[in-house]
Amino acid sequence: MNDLRIERLTKSYGPGAPVLQGLDLTVPGGALAAVLGPSGCGKTTLLRIVAGFLRADTGTVTVGGRTLVGPGVQLPPERRRVGIVPQEGALFPHLSVARNVAFGLTGLDRAERRRRTEEMLELVGLAGYGDRMPHELSGGQQQRIALARALAPRPELVLLDEPFNALDSALRAGVRADVRTALRATGATAVLVTHDQQEALSSADVVAVVREGRVAQCATPQDLYRLPADPWIAGFVGDAVLLPGTVGNGGATATTPLGPVTLAAPPGGRRTGTVVIRPEQLRLADTDTADAVRGTVTDVCFYGHDAMVSVAVDGMDAPVDVRVAGPLPIGPGEETGVRVTGEATLHA
Amino acid sequence: MRRPMARRSTALVAAALLLPVLAACGSDDDSAASDDGDGNGRSSSLVIYSGRNEKLVKPILDKLEKAVGAKVDVRYGDSAELAAQILEEGDRTKAGLFFSQDAGALGALSKEGMLEKLPQGTLDKVDAAYRGSDGDWTGVSGRVRVIAYNPDKVSKAPDSVHDVVKPEWKDKVGFAPTNASFQAFVTGMRVLEGDDATRDWLKALKDNGAKTYANNLATLDAVESGEVSLGLVNHYYWYERVAEKGEDKVGAKLHFLPGGDPGALINTAGVGVLADSGQSATARKAVDYLLSKEAQTYFAEQTKEYPLAAGVTSPVEDLPPLDSLEAPDIDLGKLESLQETLAMLQDVGLV
Amino acid sequence: MTALDPAPPPPPRGSHQATDPGQRPAPDGRPAGHTAPAGRRRARAGRRAPLLLVVPACVAAAFALLPLGYLAVRALERGPGYAWDVVADERTLLLLGRSLGLTAVVVAACLVLGVSLAWLTVRTALPGARAWGVLATLPLAVPSYVAAFTWLAAVPEIAGFTGAALALTLVSFPYVHLPVAAALRGIDPAQEEAARSLGHGPLRTFLRVTLPQLRPAAAGGALLVALYVLSDFGAVSLMRYDTFTRAIHTSYRASFDRTPAAALSVVLVVMTVALVAAEARTRGRAGHARTGGGTARPAVPLPLGRWRIPALAWCAGVTAVAVVFPLGSLGYWLAAGTSATWDLDGLAGAAWATLGVAAAGAGLTTLLALPVGVIAARHRGRGARLLEQAAYAGHALPGITVALALVFFAVRYAYPLYQQLPLLVCAYAVLFLPVAVAATRAAVLQAPPVLEDVARSLGRRPLRVLREVTVPLAAPGVAAGAALTFVVCMKELPATLLLRPTGMDTLATRLWTETGAGSFAAAAPYAAALILLAAVPSYLLGRHRT
Repeated sequence: MNDLRIERLTKSYGPGAPVLQGLDLTVPGGALAAVLGPSGCGKTTLLRIVAGFLRADTGTVTVGGRTLVGPGVQLPPERRRVGIVPQEGALFPHLSVARNVAFGLTGLDRAERRRRTEEMLELVGLAGYGDRMPHELSGGQQQRIALARALAPRPELVLLDEPFNALDSALRAGVRADVRTALRATGATAVLVTHDQQEALSSADVVAVVREGRVAQCATPQDLYRLPADPWIAGFVGDAVLLPGTVGNGGATATTPLGPVTLAAPPGGRRTGTVVIRPEQLRLADTDTADAVRGTVTDVCFYGHDAMVSVAVDGMDAPVDVRVAGPLPIGPGEETGVRVTGEATLHA
Repeated sequence: MRRPMARRSTALVAAALLLPVLAACGSDDDSAASDDGDGNGRSSSLVIYSGRNEKLVKPILDKLEKAVGAKVDVRYGDSAELAAQILEEGDRTKAGLFFSQDAGALGALSKEGMLEKLPQGTLDKVDAAYRGSDGDWTGVSGRVRVIAYNPDKVSKAPDSVHDVVKPEWKDKVGFAPTNASFQAFVTGMRVLEGDDATRDWLKALKDNGAKTYANNLATLDAVESGEVSLGLVNHYYWYERVAEKGEDKVGAKLHFLPGGDPGALINTAGVGVLADSGQSATARKAVDYLLSKEAQTYFAEQTKEYPLAAGVTSPVEDLPPLDSLEAPDIDLGKLESLQETLAMLQDVGLV
Repeated sequence: MTALDPAPPPPPRGSHQATDPGQRPAPDGRPAGHTAPAGRRRARAGRRAPLLLVVPACVAAAFALLPLGYLAVRALERGPGYAWDVVADERTLLLLGRSLGLTAVVVAACLVLGVSLAWLTVRTALPGARAWGVLATLPLAVPSYVAAFTWLAAVPEIAGFTGAALALTLVSFPYVHLPVAAALRGIDPAQEEAARSLGHGPLRTFLRVTLPQLRPAAAGGALLVALYVLSDFGAVSLMRYDTFTRAIHTSYRASFDRTPAAALSVVLVVMTVALVAAEARTRGRAGHARTGGGTARPAVPLPLGRWRIPALAWCAGVTAVAVVFPLGSLGYWLAAGTSATWDLDGLAGAAWATLGVAAAGAGLTTLLALPVGVIAARHRGRGARLLEQAAYAGHALPGITVALALVFFAVRYAYPLYQQLPLLVCAYAVLFLPVAVAATRAAVLQAPPVLEDVARSLGRRPLRVLREVTVPLAAPGVAAGAALTFVVCMKELPATLLLRPTGMDTLATRLWTETGAGSFAAAAPYAAALILLAAVPSYLLGRHRT
């Protein structure tokens, strides 16, 4: 399979400006991996190195065992069989949609090329748009054509550079789903670069969080969310409640200002640390509930499908956030109980 | 929305550019075909580099082609630039004959040994005063330095260039310091009166507020418009203008200076045969033709110049005969010392 | 020259857009995808200029450097001491000062005219803005010597500095107007709106937000104007204003001496290099940030209010003096002269020949400029800079010097071509390469580099990317450059006189012949034909919108 392996990749823009600092990443063949990181973490640099637009200082990149970048190896972009879907699509404005899609189809006869083009247009749900010019398409359509263009030559790897950025949020979900479907259909390995954690979690098979030029954690979306490697990652991939905790009960639980919390993994000899739980693991309860801690509501933020209730609790400097689904039973200033469900992680 | 527009104009421009290219390629073949294998010394065709204006000499050069019985190609340009071109071409020059507006350019080629000595029979047709001292070029026609004046402002023009630096002409004199004829006149003055006197005169001219113009025509324009009262020019510009507009419409008159004044210098247009062109035989025939009665008459009648050979006298009305002119007695060969004149003009700050 | 440092990886698109977090500054404050310093030492992989681009670019540069080789030979003919004496002469320095003074004034005036007209016609609700924009490019069609001549004939007192500055300004301000108008169209109006919302008035917004972004375009145009003024001989000699070119011509004409002329010409080359370097500084990194932009929505024209009438008067006034006046004067001579013997055959022949050589000249120049322009736009580093500078090196030389240089080389090394059309066409390429290079560079900069990346990832080799993506995208701009080159070739006189095939006449040489013979009325048809023919590509340039 076309698995992507990136090993010990480094890149710096001059002394004192390292961007990649020994980045390792493996994406199984046919999987869609999201590279998630804050601005300036080096994710775009990574993408350009894999595509061949930028030369790494050291490190290797292989796809399906084929070395793209390595000691003494620097394959030019046109020989990598790596497709890219840039931001805003970047369709060739001087070519029709069909000719854009067919651009990478060299070495095929005309009928074959047309068949493949039509197939790709159909794949992205834009059959019959071949004769249009790019400027006659909407943003979402342009993005889908860009994907069709990248997939048409059957690349072993497709790189998507924040492809949904320019789309408004209403369009985004739809296009994202279409892209995922199309990628699945072709079986290409894909890497999606994004700074949007929702996008990463919802569309990828694996998510690699990049921080300061290294992969801080690489896991399935669920594991990443449930078992973040540290509090920073926890906060980056979602809302997190951080509690000071002391290990007890032989390492199975930790004691926190919200009471005892079950740990998902053994604490590894640690006695105290930061306990991370998600707001949706907290529940509001009557003040006299047995396993609940008492607190005062300081703020309520309503989102429609749910709401976030901030509760000041004894032993905490800042209020803890509680996600509440359904109708809001409570308002600021009122007393409430808070209790913890599910498992949490403990970090140094 | 902008693209198709841009595309259309691109196509238009491309078409507009391509069409004449094709045409040019076609015509290129013609000119290539007409180009003879030169430099073989046996060429029967002749290439003339003419520093004289096409409008002035084309008719006579057309006749010359018939007279010498060979194909004649004429390349028109500025005399000095053509001289520079010939010097740059060196012994691979395409020119068989150099027809110069003035003696200076011929002198420059003569000094570099680019010109061939002319047969004595040819030289003898022209007064020694109007040909090169090495016998490698000869004058063909002459023009006289005169003072043009505006009759509305001046009742009597001065009889000497030495008068125009007097206070009564302050800010009223125009001249063209970069004009070759003017520089020849200054050189003449240096020969006649010495460098010091000439330098003093130039300084006085400048201090007297004399105005500088780009050329003789502009100077004559300034006289006509009254911008200046007097202009130091060549005689034939006025006669041409009279021929163009009619005398009553030309707001200037000419004064020929008497008494051998340096301001009455006679300049010549002349020809020389290029030594290395392999066209000598035809070129020599051409020189003889230019000194023939037919050609000399042409210069007299058409360009309003003075004929220098074949005993022709000018029939132009109001033009004083050559013999009657009291021109300074000067060896034109010495006019080649133009470089010093130039240095002097620069020194004084006139060019 | 082969080790051209590659450009830093350009940002995928519109790095200036705040909505693009992937391009936000890296932790150390550098722009993440942009990082210019990287290009200097590393990152050779992606963007080394392909050899097949570098070689023709070097050929073009070598071409443009031919006159310099000639000048070196001639200037040092009598030893460096002699050349130095010529150059160090007090009078020479005075003339140089006058040339530079004239250049400064003309450039300043062109900037005022070019920028103001561009802004009025592109950004404001000026009635008939498009038409005024087209009219503002038409002065390109007027040769400087014709402009000088018509002014001199009408207002003799204008001769001297004023007249020279006026004539040169009126024919060369479109060099500033055209690129600035194009740049104005490319600026995201959101920036100006932001400035307005932050309390800046329209004028302050223009000065603080718009103008700084126009600097590269204006500087590029100003450079061409400056070099044009330095090299001009026709207008200054008619206006009797002594400049440096006059000293060069005097050396040829009065002393028949090529050595001092060459030594003086070297000074012009030095000036050119200095000016080109100065212009490169004003570019800074701005050139590279100007990618994308295609999505910017069209600006809402600024209402002029009570400035409407003055603005209209300004446009009308400039058009009147720069276009209507020279054409009117010619019309007057056409009607008035008795010697206006309309030689229709001669006129048609000269017109046809003019179109032919100018088209060939524009074609060759554009072809040679293409690799240089692409490298200048897409690659940085010493090699790329040198290439571009080489293209400009001879641009301030008077036509006569360039022509003699080509005589020198052709007679020695290409004798069969001597006094044939191809050599004349080559001379045009040497003379006008910078005009086409500037246009090509700007056009390539307009094409987003991300498209080239995409093309390569789809399996195209660099040269095919150039052919299939870069060139088609840059085509309108390159064509505009070709049209501009076409116009300047049509007007060229001194090199045409020396290098044309014997017997061939262009409109410019006919014009020279007729005025030399003193018959302005007979010259007028040629001048009029030249202006009208040159007005066609100028008109297209004015209509062209990148």
